[in-house]
Amino acid sequence: MRFSKQQIVSGMKGAGIVPLFTHDHPDDAQQVLEAAYRGGIRVFEFTNRRENSFEVFTHLLTISKKYPDLMLGIGTIMDGATTKKFLDAGANFIISPILKLEMAEVCKDYDALWIPGCATLTEIVTAKDHGAEIIKLFPGSVLGPGFVSSIMPVVPGLQLMITGGVEPNEKNLTQWFNAGATCVGMGSQLFTKEILAQKNWSLLQQTVTECLEIANRVRK
Amino acid sequence: MATFSIDSIQQAMRSSGMIPVFYHADVETAKAVLDACYKGGVRVFEFTNRGENAFQVFTQLLKHAEQYPDLMMGIGTIMNGEVTQKFCDAGAHFIVSPILKSEMATVCAKNNKLWIPGCATLTEIVTAKDLGARVIKIFPGSVLGPGFVSSIMPVVPGLQLMPTGGVEPTEANLSAWFKAGVVCVGMGSQLISKDIIEQKNWAKLEQGVKDALALIQAIKK
Repeated sequence: MRFSKQQIVSGMKGAGIVPLFTHDHPDDAQQVLEAAYRGGIRVFEFTNRRENSFEVFTHLLTISKKYPDLMLGIGTIMDGATTKKFLDAGANFIISPILKLEMAEVCKDYDALWIPGCATLTEIVTAKDHGAEIIKLFPGSVLGPGFVSSIMPVVPGLQLMITGGVEPNEKNLTQWFNAGATCVGMGSQLFTKEILAQKNWSLLQQTVTECLEIANRVRK
Repeated sequence: MATFSIDSIQQAMRSSGMIPVFYHADVETAKAVLDACYKGGVRVFEFTNRGENAFQVFTQLLKHAEQYPDLMMGIGTIMNGEVTQKFCDAGAHFIVSPILKSEMATVCAKNNKLWIPGCATLTEIVTAKDLGARVIKIFPGSVLGPGFVSSIMPVVPGLQLMPTGGVEPTEANLSAWFKAGVVCVGMGSQLISKDIIEQKNWAKLEQGVKDALALIQAIKK
């Protein structure tokens, strides 16, 4: 199943939140993905941070076929070869914590959405010039909402996804969206250690729903 | 003149957890600072290339340091390949830079010297790592903060980071950095203060170095 870049971008923009998650147990990863889906998530980022992430991700891709409107991407990709490997497997989009231009080339060949991670305006504009429609700002909480509000007037039309230390509460989300963020990535603040340890999937679903509601409310 | 393997320098940085970073135009002052640091327990020292006669002072410091066969002497604030080569030829044991300049990686590889580039974003860090940097300086440390280090460590496991700039020899500041995952800190004016230099209070410097190193050992436990 493939989605157009435009579908994925508007899915991210629509929800305001893109969950990011990694796990080395395929079953638990599946439970998290499905609970997030039930909670309202349609764009999900699995991250390539473990030895067996590729295997777990391909399992999730298989599961995602049950949900025709679920867009599943892969994050923490660091080079062109790994980009290619995951796109061949069927990843719907590619996210990286760094700006690596060879990844732009590979994504272009596949007409796939490339979301590089940047931390300075020079990196951001370089990414934009190489075709990045959405740029991940990382680490978000280190740079802060003030970074976003400073650069938005300088380069109008930037679409930024804030990742790293974003908190699922009204105050923090308001700051980011007021500054001009298009969406936020949320990992450990959403999929807490407690929820995962207790395998409390209904609480996870509820947390996700609440978080999406906050994101909707603060953007009105 | 003593030579050290890249491994042994890296190991010494990691085990002491701190390298002093210092510049002075006067050779005798620089020697006195080096002596006090050595007596305080320092075994890896960075002199910085920040003045007209830094090269002359550094070469004399290297000569002076021959009495300390376990002291590793590096040069910092190096900005290009040519100057890297010049200091490698003079006998610097390692090269530190506040920036990421890839030609310096090439020169250091050719001379088999440890290259420590300065980076401020994860993109720069990964680029440095891909160019062969085994230790990477985070600069300016206090601007990026320990939160920067703790955010990036899970993304690129195994990074060896050395924040420099505004690192304070206090329990609160040092434990924030080491908890975040750094292997070592660079400490300049916070350790070797203007007052100490003006008063030539070398006993105080020696004690300050001892205290900072002991604090780091306690934090790392």
